[in-house]
Amino acid sequence: MEALFQALLGGLVLGLIYIAIAVGLTIIFGTLRLVNFAHGAFYAIGAYVGLVIAQRIGVGWAFIAAPIAVALFAVFLDRFVLRSFYEKEPTSQLLVTFGIALVVEETLRLIFGATTQQYSMPLALQGSFALGPITYPAYRLLFAGGVILMLVLVWLFIEKTNYGLIVRAGIRDRTMVQLLGGNIRQASSIVFALGAAIAGLVGAAATPIYGIDPATGFAFLVPSFVVVVVGGLGSFWGAVLGGLLIGELQSLTNLAYAPASQVVIYLCMALVLLFRPQGLLGESEVIRQS
Amino acid sequence: MTVATTDATPAKRRRGGLLAADLRFALLCALGIALFPFLLHPLGGYSTLATQIAIVSVASIGFNLLLGYAGTLSYGHAMFYGGGGYVAAILILRTMPDHPNLWLAVLGATLATTVLAVLVGALTVRLYGIYFALLTLAFAQMIYFIVEQAKEWTNGDDGLQSLPNAILPLGAWNLDLTTHLPDFALGPFGNLSDLRIWYIFAGTCLLLVLMFARTLTRSQFGEVLGAIRENEQRSTLIGFNAAGYRLAAFAISGALTGFAGALRGLFDGSIPVDAVGIDRSGSFVIYTVVGGVQTLFGPVAGTAVIMFLENVLSAKTPAWRLIEGLIFVGVIVFLPRGLSTVFKQERDKNPRAVFVRSLRPSTEEPDPLLKSVEEGHRGGVMSIIETFKLGKFFGHFGAVRDVDFRVDPGELRAVIGPNGAGKTTFFNLLSGTIAPTAGTMNYKGRDVSRLSGTKRVHLGIAKAFQTASLYSDQTVRQNCRLAALARVQGPFRLQVLRRSTRLDDIDALAERALSRLDLSGVADVRAGDLSHGDKKRLDIAIALATQPQILLLDEPVAGMSKDEARKTEALIRKLSTEMTVLVIEHDMEMVMGLSDSITVLHQGTVLATGTPAEIQANPRVQEAYLGGHSEAELAH
Repeated sequence: MEALFQALLGGLVLGLIYIAIAVGLTIIFGTLRLVNFAHGAFYAIGAYVGLVIAQRIGVGWAFIAAPIAVALFAVFLDRFVLRSFYEKEPTSQLLVTFGIALVVEETLRLIFGATTQQYSMPLALQGSFALGPITYPAYRLLFAGGVILMLVLVWLFIEKTNYGLIVRAGIRDRTMVQLLGGNIRQASSIVFALGAAIAGLVGAAATPIYGIDPATGFAFLVPSFVVVVVGGLGSFWGAVLGGLLIGELQSLTNLAYAPASQVVIYLCMALVLLFRPQGLLGESEVIRQS
Repeated sequence: MTVATTDATPAKRRRGGLLAADLRFALLCALGIALFPFLLHPLGGYSTLATQIAIVSVASIGFNLLLGYAGTLSYGHAMFYGGGGYVAAILILRTMPDHPNLWLAVLGATLATTVLAVLVGALTVRLYGIYFALLTLAFAQMIYFIVEQAKEWTNGDDGLQSLPNAILPLGAWNLDLTTHLPDFALGPFGNLSDLRIWYIFAGTCLLLVLMFARTLTRSQFGEVLGAIRENEQRSTLIGFNAAGYRLAAFAISGALTGFAGALRGLFDGSIPVDAVGIDRSGSFVIYTVVGGVQTLFGPVAGTAVIMFLENVLSAKTPAWRLIEGLIFVGVIVFLPRGLSTVFKQERDKNPRAVFVRSLRPSTEEPDPLLKSVEEGHRGGVMSIIETFKLGKFFGHFGAVRDVDFRVDPGELRAVIGPNGAGKTTFFNLLSGTIAPTAGTMNYKGRDVSRLSGTKRVHLGIAKAFQTASLYSDQTVRQNCRLAALARVQGPFRLQVLRRSTRLDDIDALAERALSRLDLSGVADVRAGDLSHGDKKRLDIAIALATQPQILLLDEPVAGMSKDEARKTEALIRKLSTEMTVLVIEHDMEMVMGLSDSITVLHQGTVLATGTPAEIQANPRVQEAYLGGHSEAELAH
C-alpha cells in the first residue's frame, strides 16, 4: 500500500517533467511547425548550467540562470541554424535537430564527463513531509507544485496573450497565420525561446531528484514525444493527460515488473497510434499536415 | 499497343547501351571494393574494419532505400539489423552447432527479418514524419525488450558470444571464410594476407547489393516510389496504391538490413545486445545522411567515414563523437545531399526522360483515350454517377448534406454555388479523397461509396485539383507518363528490375493527353517552371492520362487571364464530346456557355438542377447568390 502510494507520487513527478517538455514541444510545433528532436538538449543544458551555478553561487541563482542560458542558446539556433529548415519537410527537421542533440550531448560529455552528477538542496528543503501513510521528500512536493504553477502560467500565456493566439492559430492552420504577416516571425522566435526555457528550468530543478548525465536529455525527450503523440500533437490538455498517463504507467510498471517500465510506454503509444492516430485529445486535422 | 512494333530497333539499341553501362558500373564498383582495404591501411585502418564496413554498408543501402527513396525516416532499423544477427546466431547454435552453414543461417535470418518488416510495415506505413519515426522506434524497443527478456535464447544483456565459425559451402568446397589470403607484400598498403576470405565474400555481397539498388532505383518501382515521395496526394489520385509501395520499400529495406546484421554477427562471432538498441538505429541515420541520401554510394561512403572515425579516431581523441556530430550537422546544413555529392559522381538523375522519344500522332491508330469513352456511352439510360442522400459532417457541421445527384454519360455538368457551399467537399466525396459520413454513391450502377480514391481512378473517375497538384521537379511529359503508368500497370506492381521506358503505350498515352491540353510544346519543361495557366492545364492532362470516363475539374480556369480562360474553356468543350465532365466554376459566363446542365449547391445541399436558362431564371438561385439573409425564405 505504501509502496503503491510512493509509486503514484513518483509517477506524478515524472509525469510533470514529461508534461513540461511536451508542452514546449507543442508550442514550438504550433508556431514554427518544427518537430524538435533537440528539445532534450535544452533540458540537459539547463541541468548542467543549474548544476554549475548551484555549486558555485547558489541554488536560487541556478533557477534563474538555467532558463536564461537555454533561451539564449535557442535564439542562437533559431537565428543561425534552424532558419532554413522551417519550410522543409518534417524529415529534414528531424535530422537537423537530431544532429544538434548529438553535438550538444557530446559537448557536455567532453566538458562534464559521462558520470551522473547531482547537486543537493539547501538544508531547509531537505526534510520530508508526512503525507498520509508515508513521508515524502519535501523538495519533490515543492518541485511538483512549482511545475504545476509554471504550467498554469504557460496555459494563461497560450489562452490569454496575443502570442498564445498565434500558437493556437498556428496549430490549426499555419498558412493562414503566415498570410497575416510581419510579426509572426518574431513571435515564433519568442515562443521557441520560451519552450526551450521551460525545458531548461525543469532540467535545473529536476537535477536534485534525478541527477544529470549527458544522455539524460535524450532519455527524457523520447518519453516526452510519446506523451505528445499519446495526448495529441498541438493539444495542451492532451500533453497534460498524456504526461500523467505515461508517468504513472511507467512508475507503476516499475513497481510491478521493473524491466518492462521502458517498453510499456512504447506499447501504449503504439496502441494509441494504431487506434486513434490523432492522439487522445488531438484534432485529426493536425496530423495530416505534420 | 501497336506503337511498340514501329521502332523496335532503337529500343534494342537502347537496351544494349544500358547493358554496357551496367557492366561499367559493376566493374568500377568491384575495383573500388577491391582497393578499399589497401587504401584504408595507410590511414591507420585494418582489414577487420574493412570487412565490417563492407557488411554494414549493405544495411545502410537498405536504410537509404527507405529514407532517400521512399522519403520516410525510420528510427527503428536496429530491430532488423540486430534481429537478423540474433536469428542467424540462434539458428546456428540451436540447429547446426557442429556443421554451421552460413548460407542457411543468413537465409533464415533474412527471411525472418523480411517477415518482421512486413508486419511492422503494415502497421506503420500509413503514418508520416515524426509519427512514423516514433512508431518504428517503439517497435524496435519492443524487440529490444524481448531480446533482453528471452535470456535462455539470447543470453540477455551479455549478448551471444563465441559463435562457432560458420562454413560457406560452395559447390564441392566447404569454404572457411576465416582463411587468410596468400602472403604478398604491398609496401605502405599492407599485405594481401592481412585479408581473410571474409572480405571477398562481404565485398561480393556489397557489389551485388549495389547493383540491385541501382537497378531498383531506376526501375518502374523506383520511379513510382519517387513520385509518391514528391506528391502523395497526386499519386494516389492517378491510381497508385501509395501504402503498398511504401510497405514494399519498407520490407526490402528491412530485408537488406537483416541480411547485413546476420553477416556482421557471423563475422564478429558475437552479437552484443546493442545491436538491437536505439543507438544502432541512430547510427544508420548518421551513416546515410553523412554520405548522402538519394545517392547510390552515399550510404557506403558515410558508413566508411563514420566507422573509420569510430574505430581509428576514437583511440586518439575523446572528442571523436563530437567531431562525428559536427560532421553530421555540417552536412545537413551545408550539403543537404551528403558528402558524396562533393565529388562529381553518378547521381540519380531522372533516367526516364532521356529515352522517351517524341511520338507522331498517327491518324490510322485508334485514339487510346477514346476507348474509354465508347464504354462510357454504351450504358444508354444508366447514370454514370448517382448519389443518394450523400453527406459529409465535420463534427456538427454538415459541409455536404442529403445530396441526391445524378449525371448521365456524356453530359457536361457544372456545379456552382456561393463560397462555402460545399462544392470542393462534394468533389472530394465523388473522387474518394474523403469518405462520406452519410448516404451512398453509385458509379455506373455500382455502389462505390466505400472505395478509395485510388480504386475509383481505376474505375474511370479522375480529378483535377483546384490548386494544381503536380510533380514539380519532373518534366511535363513525365507528369503525364506517371498517370499513364498507373493506368497501364495498375495500382501496385513490384517491378524492381525493369524500367518503365520499355512500356511504349505509356508514352503514347502521355503524349496524347499533352496534345489534348495543348501542352506538347512544353513537354520537356520542368512542371514547376510552367505558367499558372499551363500548370492548371497540366493537372487536367494528368487526370486525362488515366483514361477517365468521368473527369472532375475543380475550378479549371481560376486565376487565368481572360484569353487563357477562353482557350481552356474550348479545350474542355472538346474533351466533353468524348467523356463525361463535371466542373466547378465561378466564371458564370463560362458556366452558362459551356455546360449542358447546372447543379447549384448552397450550404451543403442541392438548391436546384436544370439547364443554364432554367437556372438563370430560378428565383431561389438568385436569392442564394444575391442575399446572404435568405435562409428563412429558402426553408419554405
